[in-house]
Amino acid sequence: MTNPVIENIRRSLGRTDLTPLSLRPAIYEPRHPESVDSEIARFLDEIKKLSGVGQELSPSDIDSSLKTLVAEQNIRKATVWETPHLKQLGITEILNSLGVDLVSPNADKHEVALCDLGITEADYLLAETGTLVLKSSTEKPRAVSLLPRIHLAIVRPEMLRADMHQVFAEAKDGNYLVFITGPSRTADIELTVTLGVHGPKNLHVWMTDT
Amino acid sequence: MSQDTHPYIGFEEYSEHVPPSIPLAVQQATSRFVGGRAARVAELPQWEQLRQIGSDIRQHTIENMDVYLTLLEEKVVAAGGHVHWAETAEDARRIVLQIAKENNVKNVVKSKSMATEEIELNHALEAAGIEALETDLGEYIIQLAGTGPSHIIVPAVHLKKEEIAALFSEKLDIDAPTDPIELARIAREVLREKFLNAEMGISGGNFLIAETGTLVMVTNEGNGRMCTTMPDLHVAVVGIDKVVPDWESLTVFLKLLARSATGQKLSTYTQFITGPRRAEGEFGPKEFHLVLLDNGRSKILKDPIGRDVLKCIRCGACANVCPVYKNVGGFAYGSFISGPIGAILSPQMLGTQAARELPYASTLCGACADVCPVKIPIPTILRHLRRRVAEGDAFAIPTISTPIRATANLASLALAQNWIYRLGARLLPIINPFFRKNNWLSNMPYPLNRWTKVRPLPPFGARFRKWWNVRSTKETESPR
Repeated sequence: MTNPVIENIRRSLGRTDLTPLSLRPAIYEPRHPESVDSEIARFLDEIKKLSGVGQELSPSDIDSSLKTLVAEQNIRKATVWETPHLKQLGITEILNSLGVDLVSPNADKHEVALCDLGITEADYLLAETGTLVLKSSTEKPRAVSLLPRIHLAIVRPEMLRADMHQVFAEAKDGNYLVFITGPSRTADIELTVTLGVHGPKNLHVWMTDT
Repeated sequence: MSQDTHPYIGFEEYSEHVPPSIPLAVQQATSRFVGGRAARVAELPQWEQLRQIGSDIRQHTIENMDVYLTLLEEKVVAAGGHVHWAETAEDARRIVLQIAKENNVKNVVKSKSMATEEIELNHALEAAGIEALETDLGEYIIQLAGTGPSHIIVPAVHLKKEEIAALFSEKLDIDAPTDPIELARIAREVLREKFLNAEMGISGGNFLIAETGTLVMVTNEGNGRMCTTMPDLHVAVVGIDKVVPDWESLTVFLKLLARSATGQKLSTYTQFITGPRRAEGEFGPKEFHLVLLDNGRSKILKDPIGRDVLKCIRCGACANVCPVYKNVGGFAYGSFISGPIGAILSPQMLGTQAARELPYASTLCGACADVCPVKIPIPTILRHLRRRVAEGDAFAIPTISTPIRATANLASLALAQNWIYRLGARLLPIINPFFRKNNWLSNMPYPLNRWTKVRPLPPFGARFRKWWNVRSTKETESPR
């Protein structure tokens, strides 16, 4: 099947439908990972440079850290990815005990939009840029990292990848992927940096050991 | 806009009437971006290597564009998306309106897109009774103000916070404060409602990955994610030049783009969208449409020098360093894309008739080519387009009159052939006595009077070769 646009391109380039594809130029070497500890430090440092809050936590500290976050940020409603790891950490139970209303992450968009806090994991992390990489599925809905004013990602060192090459090699066959590098930002009014213009204003990343 | 209908772009006239507030605001923005870019580039020792690879891959993609676009279409369809081919801007508008009509769409949210600016989609939607709202903060402001963008990355940079507050107060019927952070908060609230209630989201795209049929969108505010996550329908209008072969190639462009544009390592949000959602609970659109826009691009491919413009990844770095752009701002370029890249794209896309002044909107200083992340030889293309304007091409008649061109052709012939040059040099002094006045030729006949009207010409001497020979002999003889 042909169409006029493809035909115009071929005519301009002097090609036919039988002209074979030439070889694509080679790509450079990806970045090499450093030690896990230095990659974690680099990752958290980049998050901080992006005006996010990044910290290392042991799973037993999650309870108290959530309590602090809920109190400091006046959180009343939250929505949480329904992944095995977050269930295992008992996130929803802790939030319940703190008196936070829970909204299903698959609820109507108007409902999820009312949440103050969205909690996710990440599928991959890029230390070089302080980037969270999130896939999408029924258990991991896209709106949780987007609609609430605070996004908390609870992540683990094994999610770290040295460069996007590895992330792409593992994730390119999915239907959706998002790189999140810091909180939502703009400088559109007199170049004043403003956080949280459409996406979350606050980004918290907790690196936990398993 | 097609080539024969675009209004004439009077760059010279526009630039004479630029209010001083515009260069002031534009230079604040450009100096910040130039500094940010320089800092990011300095961190990356392999920057020059990345630029070269980026340039090579873009070249390769242009030369094989038909193959990659065919693969892209196949993959988008396999992922459950719809592909529409738009040969002209008119086709693209018709396709988008048709999708909107079939789905009974009344409200559209848009993320920033050069392609939809190019086809002037908002007017078409509004004329069909559909509200089309720009949601990037800067674009939202200029849409309320009813003006065009003054900078590719910060479109409303020419407006002061007091002006924006007055605009919000008037258009939104509120009492808006003059604090930028408060103004952004107001926009967030107003637009949040629109995102949640719109039936259709329209976006552009930064890249299209042929390998898997994936749309790549790079944004900072999150409005791009909103437009492609909240409504049930997502329509992306993307130029055919945005195709890249595969994900491996994309790593190069993602590393080049944000660093060149805003001095960030990566923009806040980079989305990779392959078809519609697969389950209702994950959010995202039920239907995904990709409109592939040609609108003159395939014609540009015919010109082996000019077509390098299609390597562009729209970072705006060339504008940020351009001494002309920094003093006139974006409006003067009279089109959806400004700065040096606009000066080489508009004449090729809108025609050398409407945009004939733009190749001259440059000092040819070459700063743009030095910073271009994909090494587009912008000054070379500017000179090439000046030639097309002067000599005429398929779109326009020559700007230089026949006698002048004949004289110039004669001169180039003479300068290229040694014997003609020498003969001319011997013959020309014969005319000296007729025009000589106080050792100057002050009043030559047409067409040389174009020179002598403004300044006198020294008499023809035919002594250069002699002088040169004597001079070089003297130099070799003289002691050091």
